[in-house]
Formats: sequence, C-alpha cells, structure tokens
Amino acid sequence: MSLSEKLYKNAGLVFPAVAILLALAFSGQIDPYLAFVATSWVIFGLLGLSLDVVWGRGGLLSLGQAAFYGLGGYFGSVVAINLAPATGNTLIWALPAGAAFGALAAAALGYIIFFARMGPLQSTILSYTFTLLLWSVTQTFKLDVGEAAIGGDNGLSNIPGIVLGVGEGAQSLGPNAAFAAAVVIAALLYFVTRWLMRGTFGRIVDCIRIDAEKTELLGYDVRKYQLLNFAYSGALAGLAGALFGLWANYLNPSIFSVQEALLVPIYVLVGGLGTLSGAFLGALAIGGLSFFLGGGAVGGQTTLILGVVLILLVLFLQNGILGGLGNLWRKALPDPNEAARNAGAVKIDSAVLGEILEDAAKDAGPAKNMGTVEAFKQFGGVIPVNKVTQSFTPGKPYSLIGPNGAGKSSFLKACVGMYRPEGGTVTLGDEDITKAPIFDRVRKGMGVKNQKPQVFGELTVADNLWTAAFARTKDRVKAEDVAAKILNMLGLEGQSDVQASALSHGQQQWLDIGMVLCLAPRVVLLDEPAAGMTNEETRELSSLVRTLARHTTVVVVEHDMEFVRTLEGHVTVLHQGEVFAEGDIEALRADDRVLDIYLGRSEHV
Amino acid sequence: MELDFLATVLLSSLSSASILLIATIGLAVVFGLMGVINLAHGEFLMIGAYTALTVTQAGVPYILSIPIAVAVTMAIGALVEVLIINRLYGRLFDTMLATWGLSIVFYQLAVLIFGTVTPGIGMPQFSMAIGEYSLAGYPLLMIGVAAAMLVFVYLLMTRTVYGMKARASIQVPQMAQAIGIESSRTNMLTFSIGCGLAGFAGAVLLPIVPATPSMGFAFVIKAFLTVVVAGPVTLTGSALTAIGLGGGASVTASFMTSVVGDVFFFVITALLLWLYPMGISAKWRRKL
Repeated sequence: MSLSEKLYKNAGLVFPAVAILLALAFSGQIDPYLAFVATSWVIFGLLGLSLDVVWGRGGLLSLGQAAFYGLGGYFGSVVAINLAPATGNTLIWALPAGAAFGALAAAALGYIIFFARMGPLQSTILSYTFTLLLWSVTQTFKLDVGEAAIGGDNGLSNIPGIVLGVGEGAQSLGPNAAFAAAVVIAALLYFVTRWLMRGTFGRIVDCIRIDAEKTELLGYDVRKYQLLNFAYSGALAGLAGALFGLWANYLNPSIFSVQEALLVPIYVLVGGLGTLSGAFLGALAIGGLSFFLGGGAVGGQTTLILGVVLILLVLFLQNGILGGLGNLWRKALPDPNEAARNAGAVKIDSAVLGEILEDAAKDAGPAKNMGTVEAFKQFGGVIPVNKVTQSFTPGKPYSLIGPNGAGKSSFLKACVGMYRPEGGTVTLGDEDITKAPIFDRVRKGMGVKNQKPQVFGELTVADNLWTAAFARTKDRVKAEDVAAKILNMLGLEGQSDVQASALSHGQQQWLDIGMVLCLAPRVVLLDEPAAGMTNEETRELSSLVRTLARHTTVVVVEHDMEFVRTLEGHVTVLHQGEVFAEGDIEALRADDRVLDIYLGRSEHV
Repeated sequence: MELDFLATVLLSSLSSASILLIATIGLAVVFGLMGVINLAHGEFLMIGAYTALTVTQAGVPYILSIPIAVAVTMAIGALVEVLIINRLYGRLFDTMLATWGLSIVFYQLAVLIFGTVTPGIGMPQFSMAIGEYSLAGYPLLMIGVAAAMLVFVYLLMTRTVYGMKARASIQVPQMAQAIGIESSRTNMLTFSIGCGLAGFAGAVLLPIVPATPSMGFAFVIKAFLTVVVAGPVTLTGSALTAIGLGGGASVTASFMTSVVGDVFFFVITALLLWLYPMGISAKWRRKL
C-alpha cells in the first residue's frame, strides 16, 4: 500500500489532528478578539457535526438541530448559573446538563418520528416546525429557576463564563485560553463521534441510510438505531448550545430563529456531507467569510449572502470542499473495484453448503415450519391474498407459481410482514407472528430475498456479508468467521474489497443470497431468485435451493417453469389471490385448467 | 347567551381555519402536482402582501391591488422555477434547502426595502352581531373566499387542458412526455400558479395580517404541517386538515393564549402523523 493510500484511509484522523495541533499552538498568539470570535466557529462546527451525524450518516435531514442546540443552551446555562458558584468550574455542570437535555428532546421527537415510521418528508417538516414552535414559545416563556431568570424575549443573562479552575476564586478564562479549551472539547467529541461512526453502530446506521428495508430484513430493529443516532446528535447539539451559553454569557430566543437554523446545513454542505470533519471546515469557512466581510458575528447583510450561498451550494457543489477533494484524490489512487471485472462464475459446492447449514443448525436450532391459515389481504377493491391456507415444512422446496397478478408476491409479503394481513394468521414454528414486525420475524428464523438484489452498494462485499452475519451472531469475530465461509462458497474471495455496487447484476443476486445464508435462517423465502440469471447460474441456484431445502424450509416464488421443474418439489398455483391447484409439476403441467389461466384462455379466466 | 358565545367561537374558528386554508392552498397545489415542497411559500405570501400594500398606498383601490399582487408573485414564481427548481427535480430535500435559502433572501430583501415595521391598511368596516357579541365582517368573509379558492383550483385541475396535463405529468411523467406533454412547461406554470395563490393569500389577508418581513414564518408552520398531514391527496386532504386543525387550534386559542393554540396545533399534528405516518390521505382512492 502506497503512502498516499495509507494517508487517504486515515485522512479523517491525520488532518484533523494536524489542524487541532496548529490551532492549539497558535491559540496563545492570535489577536484576543479573533480568538473570541473563532471560539464561536468551533462551537458552530460542533453543531454542524451533530447534523452530519443524523443527516450525512443517518440519512434524515433534520432541521431541528437548532432546537436541541437552544434547549441544551438554556438548560445547561440554568444549571451552571445555580450550581457552578459552589465549584468554580462551569464546564462540568453546563456541558453534561446541555448534552442530556438535548439528547432527551431529540429522543422525544425521534421517538415520534421513527416509531411511527414517518415518511422522510414528514420527518423533516416536523423537525423544522419543532424549531419554529420553540422560537414562538420562548418569546413569552418566563420562568425563574433559583438564581436564573428566563425572561421571554429579554433572554437569560448572567451566565458564567468558561471556568476551568476549581474553588471560590476560580476565574473565567481569557479569550485565548477559552478558544483553546473549546478546541480541546470539540476535538474530543469529534474523535469520539468518528470512533462511533466507524464501529458497528456506525456501520448499521450507514446501512439504514442506504437501504432501511434491507437492514430490517437482516433482523436489525431499525427504529432503535435511528432513535439512538438521533439522540446522540441531540446530545452533541445540546452540548454545543451549553458551550455557546458560557461563551456568550447571554441567551435569547433568537437562538431558535430560522436564520440560526439555516446556518447548520450550510456548514455541513460547505464542508462535505457525511465527512464529519467537514462541519468544522464549513463553520470555519463561513465564519471566516463573515469575519472578513465585517461585523464578525453573522447578521445584517451576511444573512442575505448566506441565503444565496445555500442556493448555489445545492445547485452546484453537492459534495462540499472535503467531498470534492476526496473525489480528486481517489482518482489518483488505484481503483479498488478493479477486481470486480475478474470475477469467475459461481460454483455451489453442495458439500460445503451442507456443512455451513449444519453449523447454522447447531447455532440456530432445527428448521421451522411456516404456515398461514385463511390469510387475507385487501387493497381497496383488489384482493391479492384471498383466504390462503398453506403449510410449509422442511424436506423439499415449495414453489408458488401463477400468472401475473395472481398474488404470489403479495402472499410472500404478507408472510414477511411487509403487508399486514387483515384476516387470518401466519405462524412460524409454533408461534403466531401475524402481528410481529419484520425484524422480529427475521430474528425468529425467517430469511428473505426480494426480487431485485438488495445489497449495500457503498459497502464492500466482505462488509455486506459481515453486517448480515453480525445481525445473528452479535459477535464481531464470529461474524467474520461466518462471512468468510460464505464468501468462499460464493467464490467471491477475490472481490471481497470491491464495493457491492460495482458487481454485476447476477453477482449482486448471489451476494444477496449469501447475506440471507449468513442469517442461518430456519425458513427461507425467495422471490423470483432466478430473474436476470444466466442458464449456468440458474442451474447453480437450483442446486443451492435443493440443498437448502434438505436443511430448512424453503418457499420460492417463480415464473420460470423450467426452473421450478428442476426443483422437484411441491408446487402451488395461485390465481386471483386464491389457491387454484396444488401438486407436483408434472401433474400440474398436464392440468388443462392451469394451462388455461397461464395462457389466458377463456375457460377459467 | 351560552349559545351565542358558542356560535361566536365556532364562527370565528371557522374563519381562522379558512384563513389557514387560504394561506395553504398554493403550497398544496405545488406539492401535490410537482412533489416539491416550497419552503419559500411564506415569503411569496409576504411579497403578495407588500405588493398590495405598495399599490394601495400609491392610490389604487384595494380590490384592484389583489390581481396585481397575483401577477407579480406569479412572475417571480416562474422566474424562480426556471432558475432553481427546474434543475433540482427528483431531489426533494435539495429543493427544500434551496427554497429555504430563497426564503431567507426574500426576507432579508424585504427588511432592506421596507424596514421591519410597516403600517397596515384599515380593515373594511362592517360587522355582524350574534346576540350581544359582535364579529368583524371581513374575517368572516374569508370563509367564502377559501371556498371560492377551492372551487377555482378544483375546476382548474379538472376542467382545463392545463389541469389535465399537470395531473398527467405528476402521475406518470414518462408517459406524459411520451404523448407529447412538455412537462417542464407544465411544471413552470404549476409553480407559478402556486406562487400566485400565495400572493393572492397575502393580498386578500392584508387587512387582517399586516405586512411584515417575518409574516411568512408565522404562516408557514401551520401551512407546512397542514400539507404533510394531508398527504398525497393534497387538495381535499388539505381542506379537511385545515378545517380540523386550524379550527381546533383557534378554539384552543380563544380559551387560552395563541401560543397554546400553536402548541396544540403542533401536538395534534404529531399525533396525526403518529397514526398516519404518510398523511391522512395515503390510503384514499381518489386523487385530487
């Protein structure tokens, strides 16, 4: 690996570290007024970081960060005013209190957004109106808490400064030392956030952004991760707000104003969405610009310029400074996706697969039956699933066939939980899972592969498999083990570091199937797995399905009659949402009624 | 007397709900027909109000200032569509950010041109008596105006060639283009009409809500919530939501303070979104 590659991989560590050291080295020498103003840029950078966590990584554009920032600021300041005189040090009171309150507020709002499974637009608008609501409420909100007096639009004054020392005589830091303190605090939070986002938690948050449905189909409770991520971002914003209170010694409702809230996405977009450190760069750039334009603090005509800047950014510079630089740099590096072009054909070794499945059975228990009783689903006047009673057991594969619109996929979706049936029951093993959420069904042993390949395109092949394996094992090392085995079986070792999006359509199908296998499912549901595969691949798939069926329960929805024939299993014909005929494929092929509905001949249509 | 009071509260609530509906329709049209959320909607309202105010101060009768305000906002809307929105189709959140930037630009321009405080125009003086209570007539008139706007938009969408094209463009854009509908022109017109409706709202509400640079922000909270709660069937959905939520908030506000009314509005909205995460009309079969 060349130096350039190594540096690229660790850019998020090296460059911020250098910047922090430089800032600390010069903090003593710069003009005190510049130091004072620059402290606010660091604080705004923290606020930007909080948005990048929830937007750049989590995928939700939250316009409520300013609200958590303001709430954290008010709460942290009130706590500091009352408790700091006893200890001298103000940071130990204001920062944790601000972070806790910000996290609480974000968790409350996030609970509504994520647990209701609100649409993205609804979420963004709700977060925006939350900020606007606080702005109008705080105008008249008056409350005395001990020594602190919150006075509506008169604001909250007498907030102590940044005090590091302990005891009665401890003094507020001067502007230069306060700047250094803010840099240290921001640096700590940045590195903690980076560590979090590169770890397991960050991986799953990334997966949710890329494809939330697939993440849930791996058995992750998506809502919980989204809520935690949102609460963490609220904590960052609240802490930034508390630090802002100490820096400004005064807070008023304008902290919730639209002008303030507008700045947050600007910082993130200028620096580069999803880069974490970009937020600080953006705050520095915008802060520096308005300092240079005069006035220092953002206000007056600067607002006008910032509005225009936001429009131009959205129109012309989507990746921001760091994103743009990163793209240029990547072009100079060897292409990691090169290997995707040299991939060979997949060869399923049923002995190896059998071994993997036996291992899985040891971990996850024996295969389970799945069944439906009178399952019923209706969309307006259309009834895609009409009182279907089926029972699936391990041993041989089950195929569901039928003409277009017969209700095959709808039936499968009712089993998976993507559709909630209006009547009837769905059982897995001995449990009634009719009302269970998707991730719960997956944890109970259901493995699902949808028609189009669902892989996390930005992640490498190995990481895709690892994420699936980790969902079941909850153990990093074990997950690596499982993923490596499946990787070998798929013959993709050479492509393990390739981004999944660089794979061909057929390879993505195999990778998706591999991810399902990583879950060691007790029941496997496959929706048109042979779609888009070559003849050889279809043969391998058939062998895989038959081996799978010896160890687990397998249900396949399929159009391709030839493929269904090679499975040598039980076949159910669906027509207009109802079970039309059942039996083995030869008997059904000889059945005139089945041919009639398939060919659209008039008798039974 | 109790009955009189109740009737008064009901009528004034209905009129506040109508005011909300008047302010929301333009937003609903743009969102429903283009899938675009225009965060600068409130500022178009403000532009309409200032246009009407300026024209009235120059001596034009108030009633004539309304069409002028509509023309001005439609022109600005068309320009914005060509310069910004047109380049961002299919990128919902980028459109939101860009129009957000636009809203702050308009706001700041208004501060620069008009200052933060401006004189209102007098409300046309006529009133209505219920028992011993007396209600100002102009706000009550808004109930009729809201109904007229709804009918106008409904006819525009169902009875004109433009309406057919616009609805075709949003339902199946490729098919619309394949049969020769130039969707970019239809979209420009839709956006422009949406802005014109906002301008109309600003002008017609001027006697009730005086023009200030920040008047947009006050309106948009409720307008946005109304549209997202309404969901995909924007016109009928928005009308229902505006009457329900706007009326409810106004009843609350008449017993307590207007801030409590705002909080009530927000909480009920959150509750409705909890029950209908994609909007109340997500599962309706009708489409307008």
